[in-house]
Amino acid sequence: MTELPPVTEEINDFAVREHRSLWLDAWRRLISNRTAMIGLVVVAVFVLSAVGAHFFWKYDAKMDLNYSAKLLAPNLRTTEKSTQIHIFGTDKLGRDIFRRVVHGGWNSLRVGLVAVGISLSIGGLLGLLAGFFESTDLNRRERTILMAALGLGLGALPAWIARQPFQAVLFGLLGVASSLLHGKTSKKSSPRLVEYGLAGALIGGTSGFLVGPMVALVCGLVGLSIGLLLARPVGGKVFSSIVMRVMDIILSFPSYLLAIAIVAFLGPGLEKGMIAIGVVGIPIYARLARSAVLSVTQKEYVLAAHSVGEGHGRILFKHIVPNILSPIIVQATMGLANAILSAAALGFLGLGAIPPEPEWGAMLGDSYKYLSSGAWWAVLFPGLAIMFSVLGFNLLGDGLRDALDPKMRV
Amino acid sequence: MKPLMEIKNLTTRFYTQDGVVNAVNGISYTLDPGEILGVVGESGCGKSVHALSIMRLIQIPPGEIPAGEVFFGGRDLLKLSEREMRMVRGHEIAMVFQDPMSSLNPVYTVGFQISEALMLHKKMNRSQAKVRAIELLNLVGIPEATKRFDNYPHQFSGGMRQRAMIAMALSCEPKLLIADEPTTALDVTIQAQIINLVIRLQEELGMSVMWITHDLGIVAEMVHRINVMYAGFIIERGFVDDIYNHTLHPYTMGLLGSLPSIDEAPGTKLISIPGLPPDLIALPEGCPFFARCTYRVEQCRQERPQLENAQEAGHTVACWRWREIQGLGVA
Amino acid sequence: MNSENKVLLQVINLKKYFPVSRGLFTNRQTRYVKAVDDVSFEVFDGETLGLVGETGCGKTTVARTILQLYRPTSGNIIFDGIDLTSLAENELRKIRRRMQMIFQDPYASLNPRMTVGNIISAPLDVHTDLGGKEKQDKVQDLLRLVGLNPDFVNRYPHEFSGGQRQRIGIARALALNPDLVICDEPISSLDVSIQAQVVNLLEELQDRLGLTYIFVAHDLSMVRHISDRMVVMYLGKVMELAARNEIYLRPRHPYTRALMSAVPIPNPRKARDRQRILLKGDIPSPLNPPNGCNFNTRCPMAQAICFNTDPEYREIEPRHYVACHFA
Repeated sequence: MTELPPVTEEINDFAVREHRSLWLDAWRRLISNRTAMIGLVVVAVFVLSAVGAHFFWKYDAKMDLNYSAKLLAPNLRTTEKSTQIHIFGTDKLGRDIFRRVVHGGWNSLRVGLVAVGISLSIGGLLGLLAGFFESTDLNRRERTILMAALGLGLGALPAWIARQPFQAVLFGLLGVASSLLHGKTSKKSSPRLVEYGLAGALIGGTSGFLVGPMVALVCGLVGLSIGLLLARPVGGKVFSSIVMRVMDIILSFPSYLLAIAIVAFLGPGLEKGMIAIGVVGIPIYARLARSAVLSVTQKEYVLAAHSVGEGHGRILFKHIVPNILSPIIVQATMGLANAILSAAALGFLGLGAIPPEPEWGAMLGDSYKYLSSGAWWAVLFPGLAIMFSVLGFNLLGDGLRDALDPKMRV
Repeated sequence: MKPLMEIKNLTTRFYTQDGVVNAVNGISYTLDPGEILGVVGESGCGKSVHALSIMRLIQIPPGEIPAGEVFFGGRDLLKLSEREMRMVRGHEIAMVFQDPMSSLNPVYTVGFQISEALMLHKKMNRSQAKVRAIELLNLVGIPEATKRFDNYPHQFSGGMRQRAMIAMALSCEPKLLIADEPTTALDVTIQAQIINLVIRLQEELGMSVMWITHDLGIVAEMVHRINVMYAGFIIERGFVDDIYNHTLHPYTMGLLGSLPSIDEAPGTKLISIPGLPPDLIALPEGCPFFARCTYRVEQCRQERPQLENAQEAGHTVACWRWREIQGLGVA
Repeated sequence: MNSENKVLLQVINLKKYFPVSRGLFTNRQTRYVKAVDDVSFEVFDGETLGLVGETGCGKTTVARTILQLYRPTSGNIIFDGIDLTSLAENELRKIRRRMQMIFQDPYASLNPRMTVGNIISAPLDVHTDLGGKEKQDKVQDLLRLVGLNPDFVNRYPHEFSGGQRQRIGIARALALNPDLVICDEPISSLDVSIQAQVVNLLEELQDRLGLTYIFVAHDLSMVRHISDRMVVMYLGKVMELAARNEIYLRPRHPYTRALMSAVPIPNPRKARDRQRILLKGDIPSPLNPPNGCNFNTRCPMAQAICFNTDPEYREIEPRHYVACHFA
């Protein structure tokens, strides 16, 4: 019997699996999921029709007016009453509903993308930073910068909204000063609390006096609390806590009411509506990003990156961000659905899109009073459009969640 | 002596996106009453899956037990209805798993969980069950058992949780205790305590134990017989002294050689088995160990060896060349 | 590997306490997890120092603190004459080139979204100016060094087995030619036969590259195989430190004796004949270590003095240190 030489301890001991990237794997899983595919098709139809209509089927809403054709039922052939084909009928101003629905899609798409874009970028960034700073050791310089930025943000933002630049600068300085001061680690904590609390209250209060006594009180209290917070050996955890509490504040408002309030503040227009919906959505991404970051920073490869000497920026962008994309992508897809729905709600109430811009919610708002007189088509088709686009994104989002669920191959 | 359990040609498969995973490939063996059997192998060899198959805890689909018979107490467990099987589980055969934290429900007290099994299988009422449960906690060496009855799992340490698991498993006096890597997650000194406990309990209660592990060191001191598994096959089986002192299969030899020994000369290199276990989706036709075996020949590639009797009683091995290898001298 | 060489690393009275915080505004005396509580030892150039102990003993914390992944609460770490605890951030970064770590979990220690090539070249990107072809060549050399096919640079970690991933981790650790490599339980998650492969590789690399290892593990038989000297830790303190054979054949500390007797022996006759020292009870929590000797709750020899006085850590024989009143 012949003997084969012993196997060399080499390298083609490779688990039999062809080279497949993780994204390709996810794509395959997505394709095999039937409901997700339905969602994808619906979304594709929606997007393509909206984009196609915007660029190839020009529509000037202001010129569209035809009283003689008002409230015609859907027809597939021309009759004496309706000289043109209106597959979805016409609305109270004689406008073709089909055309307006399709162009409304373009507006909805824009709102969805911009709103989610705002929420994702601001919320995602805040969550990312909160999670990262919470779980990393920072040196003194970094902590100072962080707290100064926080102070600036906390004070500057309301000051900007209220148009008081003086306070904005002051809060920033408060942040910097406190961080520098506490560098000397003193064993006694209580005096420091008192010092900083008073300092904050004073700075806030005096600047507020320039405006009025009530403002002074409010600013004083805000200054007091910031001062107290900054008295602690602060660092990433405090930053994270403060950011997440602000997110909680936003979340405590019912989302539609908050959106309405923001639109009321900013003025009418679809763009303002996008901002409102975007702002309302910020906390969701912040929370998501933060929890995803926290679970990633526990992993040993982040520790390995530290031990190699990689800096914070590199760790953040090469190690953490690529690994938190999955849940954020899923949320963004569902978020698009939500944004479209919110835009429709705003439009229905007459906020958001300025008439005669075609917008599904606005169309509903215009036409529901004619429902009792039998003009069902003016309400049904915009409603169906909303329903299908939201459903499509939700199905797609569900499918994405299953596909992207990182079941790492063992 | 009639065996307590007889397994014939047990086969288990899983249907996955990548193909059919042949986890257990027609294994057969017997287990006597009062015997401690060690089932040894590395990850993917099928040792845990075969135990779950015996207990009918394999999720179907994606799993499937297309063939085999498991005779226990006069009946084939694989043919029982789910309801009948539920009476077997916990009562006649009990199982202890590796991670005690996830086997114990964190929202119920430990005492309650033990009592549950007693009330279900032994038809005791709550106070009878409590008395028995405290007895059991004492039996497994948990101090202050009465107080501990009302503790939650998170208040127990790892070793104590594992003891509590054993108490739960023993509560209905099973004939067979299957322990799937029960000490792998524990510290060495705690592991020693648990091993000691199981040996003592086995002597006192006379039950059979199946101890599944990858650690050849543990089984050396506590089991009577060993099944060595590889890629879903049993490739060697025998009494413990024979397996260690008259090892026949090249894989077992390699496995033993990988372990550092207390009296090795300094500077000895460990014998490592090159390569990796085969992909269970694409099992080779011949011997599953072919790609990594230093003694392989052409026949090994083409024909799969079956278990055959070796010289010692009860010692079987699945290798074409075991006789020659034995002549060449054992590792 | 002989201990007459120069001292590469000195750990002096190292303490690392983790505060368990309570609330946002209080700054009262918070409780501390005393993960490492006054540990001292030396590591000689070219040797392998085994660091063993059970859960809560602090061995992983010691390893990470040596690398300054945690800043020590107190104590000094002197690496090749340089006190790491007093270095500023950028100087520390330069020293990091010379000490690297291999991690325990091969599935979590490699970024699943980076290619193997990028993972290994990360240290090169941070510390050197190597670019393009030079960097490629270095990465391929490293892959060959650990026994992996250099063609696999563009694959992702999930395409490899556990043992192969661990090799990738080793390649990453060696990218900058470090002097000291700390192996934090590098083989615990691997199968037995793969463990032997990886341990053989580590030994071979040590011979070839003149590396010094600190090998942290709980698998005592493997640690004995690879170490020259061993440190036994319990609940944040060092119980015993001696040459490998001394620890195994003539352990002086009762904990070491119990530990050695608990190690499974893959030989049925010897295993049955062996007298096991069984410890009672569980390991106390590092939040609340006992008064006096940390081991007094489980020690079979505990006397009155053990409950109120901490034993002194002293050299009872040349190069054999024990912390016990009765050693």
